[in-house]
Amino acid sequence: MQNDPTLDVNLTRALDESKRLADSIRPGSDRWDVIVVGSGAAGGMAAFQLAMAGVKVLLLEAGRMIDVRTEYRTMEWPYASMRRNRLPPGERPIDVAEYSFLDRPYGSNPAFEKHKKVLSYAANRFTRNWVVDERQHPTTGTPYAWVRSRILGGKTNFWGRGALRYGPLQFNAASRDGFDVDWPISYDDVKPYYDKVDVLLGCSGTIEGLMQVPDGVFQRPSKLNCVEVAFKRAVAKMGRHYIPGRAGVTTDGVLNNKYRARCAGRGRCGRGCDIQAAFHSPTALIYPARDSGNLTVRPYSIVSEVLVGEASNRASGVRVIDANTREVMDFKAPVLVLGAGTLDTTRILLNSRSSAHPGGLGNSSGLLGCYLSEHIMGIRGSGYIPARIGTEATLDDGRPVAPYVPRFRNVTDRHPDFIRGYHFQGGGGCAEFPGMAHDIPGYGKAFKSNVRKYYPAIISLGGFGEVLARKENRVALDPAVKDAWGIPVLRFDYRFGDNELKMAKDMADSIEEMLTAAHAEDIKIEREPLPPGWSIHEIGTARMGDDPRTSVTDRYCRLHDAKNVYIADAAPFVCGGTQNTTWSILAMAWRTMDYLKERLRAGDA
Amino acid sequence: MHDGGINRRQALKALGTGIGAAAALPWLSDGGLLAFARIQETNAPPQLKVLSRSQFATLEVLVDAIIPTDDRSPGAKQARVADYIDLLLSEVDRETTLAWFGGLAALDAEATSRFRVPFARLGAGQLDAILQTISRNERAPQTPLETFFVIAKQATIRGYYTSSIGIHEELRYKGNQFLREFAGCQTEDGQDCPHCGQKHHAE
Repeated sequence: MQNDPTLDVNLTRALDESKRLADSIRPGSDRWDVIVVGSGAAGGMAAFQLAMAGVKVLLLEAGRMIDVRTEYRTMEWPYASMRRNRLPPGERPIDVAEYSFLDRPYGSNPAFEKHKKVLSYAANRFTRNWVVDERQHPTTGTPYAWVRSRILGGKTNFWGRGALRYGPLQFNAASRDGFDVDWPISYDDVKPYYDKVDVLLGCSGTIEGLMQVPDGVFQRPSKLNCVEVAFKRAVAKMGRHYIPGRAGVTTDGVLNNKYRARCAGRGRCGRGCDIQAAFHSPTALIYPARDSGNLTVRPYSIVSEVLVGEASNRASGVRVIDANTREVMDFKAPVLVLGAGTLDTTRILLNSRSSAHPGGLGNSSGLLGCYLSEHIMGIRGSGYIPARIGTEATLDDGRPVAPYVPRFRNVTDRHPDFIRGYHFQGGGGCAEFPGMAHDIPGYGKAFKSNVRKYYPAIISLGGFGEVLARKENRVALDPAVKDAWGIPVLRFDYRFGDNELKMAKDMADSIEEMLTAAHAEDIKIEREPLPPGWSIHEIGTARMGDDPRTSVTDRYCRLHDAKNVYIADAAPFVCGGTQNTTWSILAMAWRTMDYLKERLRAGDA
Repeated sequence: MHDGGINRRQALKALGTGIGAAAALPWLSDGGLLAFARIQETNAPPQLKVLSRSQFATLEVLVDAIIPTDDRSPGAKQARVADYIDLLLSEVDRETTLAWFGGLAALDAEATSRFRVPFARLGAGQLDAILQTISRNERAPQTPLETFFVIAKQATIRGYYTSSIGIHEELRYKGNQFLREFAGCQTEDGQDCPHCGQKHHAE
């Protein structure tokens, strides 16, 4: 207990429920048709699709259950505690510079000796009970800011809500610029699933007719605030778009879900939306699936490996280590769906070593763990829009996401320095905390009045650039280091390449160009990228393809090497454009489950 | 219960609250409630955690010089930024705490050598003279006092603009409330916008 109401959150209900479920659900305590591993966007959608179709599902979550009624504290003010936004003394997030300069594993550094828990940069007073302790979950190799969350719903409890679709520029990227290979499927294969996800979960946005980011079935869009309108008008003259952000948040309400209400424009969705307008896997997918009577959820279930059956091309179940008791249990089912997140799914498969699969299950191509990709970010620009300097505050942040500049490089033209592209996300106006105050010089009444003078005028945008899927960017099992449960950890071998760095330079130049066009004052440009992994958009380490020699899964995200093992997360994605990943995970997971349901109906799963 | 003439009801009244607030503070005994009421009333700091009385007094003067009271809203002292920093220093590593102790002592030394009084007792003009000196190279501080100014200013900004005074009275932040719909710039609704002066029809 910290004697701090913002930190002493009552978890009794969630912990009691977790214990009850973990105690009662045992191997053989029931029969399941399918085991799903992970409960975030991927596992949540997989479990929902199957359970709603009458399939008996066992969902294994490595963390505990969540009590969304007490743990989502959407409207809590920072002054609820004199500690404000700081974590309690024993807990410490890794900061930006430390990711690059401290040795791995991060948690073992002397810098953290005095801390009980070392957390990723995503830890704050709202997420601190959800993100993992780096000491229990080490990584080795090159720097990588790997954000993991072991709790029902995973990272969807605090995700950024950017709900963008991949389009032809992603599925057919190689055909356009000759780099790497196309996806084995096209946008037309996935479009119906994006549409269904939009309708099921709710997606706010505007119809724009842009091929670089296809339109969806949108609910009421966000509006731009004053500084954003000024920016939009300026960049329109350059032929660029600045459009309302597309958010995985229901602004008009969704049908058939009693847990969710529509958006009430309060902002601060990233700490969990307590009216469930934002998509969070527990209330949007898992609770409704459980209500069907077909879903069993077992928390505290850390999957260490997939077990291979008598036929070497079929899995028989998974080995589970109970996170609390450390008891080892083998759960069996005819079909497995892995949705532990791109990198943890890959780790489970790499660790599933047998005489028939010495390099891990699904690794006959030798490519499992290769082609790790995400987004290079951190390049950003800010400035003050003259029309709002010196005006009174307006309500500028009551919406689920900020607007966005869709990709404009290599869409219709060809950039001389790099292939693929980037987009910018960000907006401005009055926020709860005036971060710009740190850049206002001086002290006293002049300082104070300058803060409020420039406060409504700030605009700030950051880039997200495609990291090319390259074979040499990869993860493997570390031969020596193990996590707190004795499971080998991932060793990263991942770096930004020449294309990314040239793209980053152009990002910085173009944001400066756009802010200048908007007549912004005091323009500041950050040219250094954030550490690898920062985007939390990791994809690609079990890539899909039609040829088992050059890919890990088939076009339905099923392992070439094990016909009853499917992947629901982003590990099979071939390339990821500039788009935030979650909406594609949801659409692809739905598509994969439709295929699996067909196989089950045909008795051929 | 009586204590210096104030009973529980009067204490609640002093808090500007009624039965509801008492129900929300169930852990407070009558004595605790009275102490709480006095803190609210007098703005007296709670028990200090790290700083001595005189260090605290120096710090209060410093943060209030960085963000003072003006016509619009109270300053950092009333927003209890010094309490925020005291708690902060009780939880950071010892080196950071010692750096703050050193900074506060250096402020006193500067005040004494220039004006022959401790920092907390400087007149307004004297205080301003010292602040001017130590904020001179804010972008690239050269001396220990210049460095301390930057550290103290950043902490003051964090403490002040996360306080109720900073958010509601100074910035007049309007978010974090239930809306029927987010309004945005009024040009978005086909009107000229009174907040930014932009016309519905872009030039």
